[in-house]
Amino acid sequence: MPKIELPLQDFLSLSGLKNTLGLEEMLEPLKAELDGLDDQQVKIELNDTNRPDLWTAEGVARGLRCYRTGKAEEHLARLGKPDKYITVADDMAEVRPFIAAFTATGWTVDEKGLECLITAQEKLASSFGKERRTAAIGFYALDRISFPVSYRTTAPETSFHPLGEENVMTIAEVLEKTEAGVKYAGLLNGMENYPVLVDSSGEILSFPPVLNSNCTGRVEPGQSRLFCEVTGTDRHTVNLTATILACNLEDRGAEIEPVEIRYPNGRNTITPVIFSDTLTADLNTVSSVIGEDASDLDLKFLLGRMDYSGIQLNSDSVTAVMPPYRRDGIHPMDLIEDIAIAIGLNNIQPVLPSEYTVGAAAPVEALSAGIKLLLLGTGCEEIIRPVLTSGEKITAFTGTPELPIAISNPMTAEYGVVSNTLLPALLEVESVSGHAAFPHNIFTVGEVLRRNQDGTCRTDVNLAVTAGDADLGRIHSILGVICHFRNLELKLKEADDPRFIPGRSAQVIISGRVSGIIGEIHPRVLEAWGITVPVAGFEIPLERLR
Amino acid sequence: MSEVRDLHPLEKALLQWLSENSPSTDIQSLEGTGMDQGSYRRAVQWLLSRDLAEVTESTSTVTVELGVQGEENLKAGTTPELALLEMVDNGASNLQDIQKNEMFDRGRWGSAMGALLKAGVLTREAGNLVRAEETGGIFREMWTEVYLPLQKKEKVFLHQLSGSLAEGVSARAPKRGKGRAEFAIVESVSSTLAITGQGREAWEESRGKISIGQLTREMLASGSWKDGKFRRYQVDIPPARMHAGRLHPYGVFLDTVRSKLLAMGFREMKGSLAENEFWNNDALFMPQFHPARDIHDAYYLEDSVTVPPPDPVIGEAVRRAHEDGGDTGGRGWEYSFDWERSLQAIMRSQGTALSARTLGSKPDIPGKYFGIAKCFRYDQVDATHLPDFYQVEGIVLGSDINLKHLLGLLKLFAVQVAGAEEYKFVPAYFPFTEPSVEIHIKHPVLGWMEMGGAGLFRREVCKPLGIEVPVIAWGLGLDRMALMALNLSDIRDLVTPDLGRLRSMTLKPEDLLGGEKNA
Repeated sequence: MPKIELPLQDFLSLSGLKNTLGLEEMLEPLKAELDGLDDQQVKIELNDTNRPDLWTAEGVARGLRCYRTGKAEEHLARLGKPDKYITVADDMAEVRPFIAAFTATGWTVDEKGLECLITAQEKLASSFGKERRTAAIGFYALDRISFPVSYRTTAPETSFHPLGEENVMTIAEVLEKTEAGVKYAGLLNGMENYPVLVDSSGEILSFPPVLNSNCTGRVEPGQSRLFCEVTGTDRHTVNLTATILACNLEDRGAEIEPVEIRYPNGRNTITPVIFSDTLTADLNTVSSVIGEDASDLDLKFLLGRMDYSGIQLNSDSVTAVMPPYRRDGIHPMDLIEDIAIAIGLNNIQPVLPSEYTVGAAAPVEALSAGIKLLLLGTGCEEIIRPVLTSGEKITAFTGTPELPIAISNPMTAEYGVVSNTLLPALLEVESVSGHAAFPHNIFTVGEVLRRNQDGTCRTDVNLAVTAGDADLGRIHSILGVICHFRNLELKLKEADDPRFIPGRSAQVIISGRVSGIIGEIHPRVLEAWGITVPVAGFEIPLERLR
Repeated sequence: MSEVRDLHPLEKALLQWLSENSPSTDIQSLEGTGMDQGSYRRAVQWLLSRDLAEVTESTSTVTVELGVQGEENLKAGTTPELALLEMVDNGASNLQDIQKNEMFDRGRWGSAMGALLKAGVLTREAGNLVRAEETGGIFREMWTEVYLPLQKKEKVFLHQLSGSLAEGVSARAPKRGKGRAEFAIVESVSSTLAITGQGREAWEESRGKISIGQLTREMLASGSWKDGKFRRYQVDIPPARMHAGRLHPYGVFLDTVRSKLLAMGFREMKGSLAENEFWNNDALFMPQFHPARDIHDAYYLEDSVTVPPPDPVIGEAVRRAHEDGGDTGGRGWEYSFDWERSLQAIMRSQGTALSARTLGSKPDIPGKYFGIAKCFRYDQVDATHLPDFYQVEGIVLGSDINLKHLLGLLKLFAVQVAGAEEYKFVPAYFPFTEPSVEIHIKHPVLGWMEMGGAGLFRREVCKPLGIEVPVIAWGLGLDRMALMALNLSDIRDLVTPDLGRLRSMTLKPEDLLGGEKNA
């Protein structure tokens, strides 16, 4: 979940708060948690992955303001007609197709504000923008740019002066030599030409999504006229990111002016896009979901708390416009959840479901409980081990003939395969438990993943039992006890299996059906595991003991 | 059982004496039994330690014994002081003459003269030694009252000597360097011993009846135990370790959770360790571009292994829900659904996959379901992360289900499953539910902590799976509850391969999860 760290005083004054008293509870309606607090900084974790607007100082502060006052705020309500435009070149479709931009003037950048701007830029581009793939953000000094700007590609030999570097470099050098270049080069793999923003005087503004230019792309405290652009591979992400940033700067006191984006196919867009999705919910549905009669609720106040505008109450429905920085309202239920949050979950009376239902354990669990009782009677101790294990333990150490199913993206080889047998887990116990008093009669009941003939896989629940410092006789007796008390006919039929000593292993035949394997573990296997006592064991799918 | 050991011959001898002569002083017992001091002391020690005899009286006495010089004197038949007086009587007038006599060495003659002069028995007149007193004072008494009785092996008690003699003797028995001294003052305790009831019993037993150790079938059959006497067991020793079969504490914990849910009327669901992304994510309306669906959030199976695809009707309905909302009443995620991605086999990453499958297979309405499911997350293994772990989740279906029931259910879990006394509801985000709620419970030591979450499944989840009624989806975190219940701090201990470590874990199942206050 995204976490943000903000300068405390700036955050409090944006939120309209005098101090941090009760902040933890105030954050709850925003699905946010207080993650840390000191004199200087406040750390907040945001749990809603569909609300990138909240991953910024201005977004959280706005949420706190509205919830406290119950008053929705205006957002981008007085945008004029754009007098600036950006042209998108034909070949951008293959490179980095989308761009959104706006200007923000009249707010003088201060140090804390700049810090929040950079935090928002980084958090949105890394988390929401998937490490700058779907969206990357650039801020510029507006007055150094001559419009129109063109968004096009250029050859790797093109040079400009990147922000934070001493000298002019070519694009190829930027990718090779700068920190940002190395980090984001993967996003541009295989391209012959690279995206750039160039103004009408031919000045390169930036090389998205890597670096701005040192000249136009430097924003410092004291400036009050900014240009902002967002580029990326996903239209939705690019547009929403620009709208969020525009709302944030507007909250700081800036006046936002839109920019027209001229796409080659003629589908021109004015950004920031005012999404303002309208949601309508049936009052009956509101009542039946919340469990309160909707006509008793002050819906205007409640939706105002959540920053909805244009609220219309009809006899059987409620309609409201979601604020433009949100695009997560995709179903009437989303509106209803916001009503519930505005009521306050702790103000809603919990009620138990009244309809009668009968409980029942899964059949395999009931079977397992019965078998475990018998195993306890034989003095066996239960073991629980992870399902993921290493191929080495199953194949090289134990000599299991059937190959386990491998994980194609393992984190470590130690957990690189899914267990298809439980004997290795018990041998591992024996290998590290030489110091524990004998006898070692141990068992495990667990899920294993097996291959089917048709390429699919299935989950079996197996039982494995081993006895340390014991022979086949002991383990045969334990199996005998289970079969006797469950009224199953047990027979062994000599079998060869590399895990066991030849002549001392057998197929377990239960009521005429080949069901499992039993034997004395081969000394070669014991040696591989570093086990110093003889071990005997068996393994059988639990269902065969039903 | 370990038995009280048999009587030692010394114990038998003393018990026999005491059985007829109780109480007896040490001196009487020594005489009566004819034991030497050392044997007697040992016998007394043993009998006392086993409560076979007891001390009824004890007195402390101080006696005088001879030191090395005293023994020399006795051998010589006189003390240097008495011999010196005799020599003076016979005309010796100075130390040089006296020291020519080799009966004692020069030093002893010297100190004897000093002592005699100091006591005023001798004086010097014009440089010559002269006897000043006829009797020889305490030096004569010392010989007659101390040396001679000791020579006869009589005891000499310090308090029975005259004051000046006792003083003189004590002065010649220094506490330090007493090895070479003339006398030693010995303090000793003399006790009176009586036989106890147990002592009498033990004595009776030792002198006649058969002593029975292990009671045998033969004794019971023949009745011979009636002529015998059972040897006593020593009962205050720790028990011998016994091997015991035992369920795994973590398993017991999971079973306790299971029985709580069964008692609340939930049916148990079971599923597969491996899933396809369809059931793990898509059916739960998690868009394929969702951040939690990154390659690094799930374990993918090797390419040759597949999980069977969903029923085509359900599959198509889920695809539409993602792309444009289909007939769910929503507008969907507005992207192009990728079937190849959907059918990719992965290790189940959330127990909710089980709930999705249950919804898709015509569940009971009303119905309550739960599953304790192994789940797999792409995490580094450490004290708080295992590669696979259990989650308990489930669903509640019913035509009248609403947010209040969701809160009621969470409250029930908090009180019944975790034994919480204080709880609160917090808005939450889960991709597949709306509204979504978390319940936080107040732990007496750790403070507020998240216990679990729930929500109403989105219509985009239910409708494509053929469910028209509201459905509560819920899940409880088990790991932290298990660690607290088992008093562990490292999650890896829940699956330790070390049998010794496992045997060291103690557990009272009836105390788990709130214990008897919920009974």
